[in-house]
Amino acid sequence: MTTLEFANVSFSYLPKPFIHRMSFSVAEGELVGLMGSNGAGKSTILKLAAGLLSPREGNVMVGKKAIRSYRGKERARHLAYLPQILDLQAPFRVGELVRMGAYPQEGSQALSVEEALQVVGLQGKEKKQLAELSGGERRRAYIAMTLVQGAKVLLLDEPLASLDIKYQFDLYKLLKDIVREKGVTVVMSLHDMGMGALLDRLLLVKEGELIAQGDPAGVLTDELVRDAFDLNESLSVYMTANRFVSRALAVAAPQCQS
Amino acid sequence: MKPANGSMFLVAAALSMAALCIIVVSVASGPRLLNPFTMDSETCRTLLAIRLPRTAIALLMGGALGASGAILQGIFRNPLADPYILGISSGASLAASFGLMFGISLFTLSVPILAFIGAIATGAAVVLLGCGWKGLQPERLLLAGVGIGFFLSALLMLVMTVSVDDGLKRAILWMSGDLSMVDWGLLPVGLFFILSGFCLALSRRKGLNALTLGDDIAHSLGFNPTRERLYLFIAASLMTAASVSMGGVVGFIGLVVPHLVRRHVGSDATVVLPLSVVAGGTLLCLADAIGRTVAAPLELPAGVIAALIGSPYFIYLLRQGKSY
Repeated sequence: MTTLEFANVSFSYLPKPFIHRMSFSVAEGELVGLMGSNGAGKSTILKLAAGLLSPREGNVMVGKKAIRSYRGKERARHLAYLPQILDLQAPFRVGELVRMGAYPQEGSQALSVEEALQVVGLQGKEKKQLAELSGGERRRAYIAMTLVQGAKVLLLDEPLASLDIKYQFDLYKLLKDIVREKGVTVVMSLHDMGMGALLDRLLLVKEGELIAQGDPAGVLTDELVRDAFDLNESLSVYMTANRFVSRALAVAAPQCQS
Repeated sequence: MKPANGSMFLVAAALSMAALCIIVVSVASGPRLLNPFTMDSETCRTLLAIRLPRTAIALLMGGALGASGAILQGIFRNPLADPYILGISSGASLAASFGLMFGISLFTLSVPILAFIGAIATGAAVVLLGCGWKGLQPERLLLAGVGIGFFLSALLMLVMTVSVDDGLKRAILWMSGDLSMVDWGLLPVGLFFILSGFCLALSRRKGLNALTLGDDIAHSLGFNPTRERLYLFIAASLMTAASVSMGGVVGFIGLVVPHLVRRHVGSDATVVLPLSVVAGGTLLCLADAIGRTVAAPLELPAGVIAALIGSPYFIYLLRQGKSY
């Protein structure tokens, strides 16, 4: 079942057109990666999906409704967005932050604070200040907030940026678990092709256009990647290295592979 | 949001007890110490006409400034934001000083009313200039406030330079936080605007928490960041305007009290807003009591005393090394 759909979406940061008649859909329970060079439009696509930007043409549909037709709290119960730059020094305790996820709820919460902290592996850290956590833990605290929020679609802008390989891997495992066990759909932008190769599906973007989509093996080809990043030289050595990383990660976490 | 831990209740209880004690001290102290057990007619008159209204207004003003500071630091995501950074005090000062120096005293409350009008007009101008195509953005709002504040301060200096009469001294005292002129007449209107602002802020406390995390997260949590920021800005402006119009410009409290409160109870606005009111009111009440007692019959400005009492404690807390 489709949970997120872009139907001929165009957008421009005036006066320059930026996203050109883009169409794609994401099914329920998919872990989808959005890849492309810096400035290709990944963050803009996620902001359009979150309703932070309005398309000039076309529609962004979440469930069966256009995202802009949702009222604030109703939208928040369907969809959560975490920007690339999170306020990692926000003056809150972990528990205070995660409880904010209950703001859009009118009845019972999708998940209690304790359960959400358990899912992201931060049990026992409810009273810690955010500033006392590591970078990876802080991101997980924000993800716990979206779990309490009960959003069925999670949009993450470069959640792996500036994390070392351990935290990247931990976060990947967490997202995979959330997708598998909670039925949440995750769309995330990322640069790391090794990580990209582990996702269910990839969307490759260049200058505001979708140039390829499909399973990682079909998208991360030498030809498509060179085109997306405007590279003249062959990427075979780099791609081989990335395949090693992907394989190593996949072997290290067989339970995470669907 | 549930309380982070039981220590919050201890802090709230301790603060409330301290507030009650300081109210008693404030009512009793002054150039002439009042003994509540020997109430003659003179004592009774001093109590009702001077000490009680002064204590009540100090509590109200300090509470309003504490809550305004907590709001503005949240909506601007800036720990240095305070009720005066947005030019509101400059607007109030200019209007009030104009009234004091040029003798515009049509009736008793003309100076507070002028100050209130000046503050609200400045707040409205800051909102109009701070609103861009992306709505009410914190950086733009802050820059608009600072710019208007500097402009009005320059106008104020100009007015003070050309003024020669004794209204100038009153204006300078007023700008340092002068509570010596307060009476019961100020209380109902001030209380109305401060209560209105506080209730508005308290009703938007979840939005304030969400804005502290940034506009994108606030949007993701179902809030309209521009609308929440506007409501909260109106609440802070109403409280600041009412406070400035009652007793002049008292610095320090709006900047530091919210930090002191957060140090002890965390950052949830549900807790921080009411406790900032209690802590701000208590501190100003204590500062005013000290200011009118230690060098009697000379009165020292309450704002100066508040800074002298609060700064060492604030520095001590910073030295503890805990992060906010």
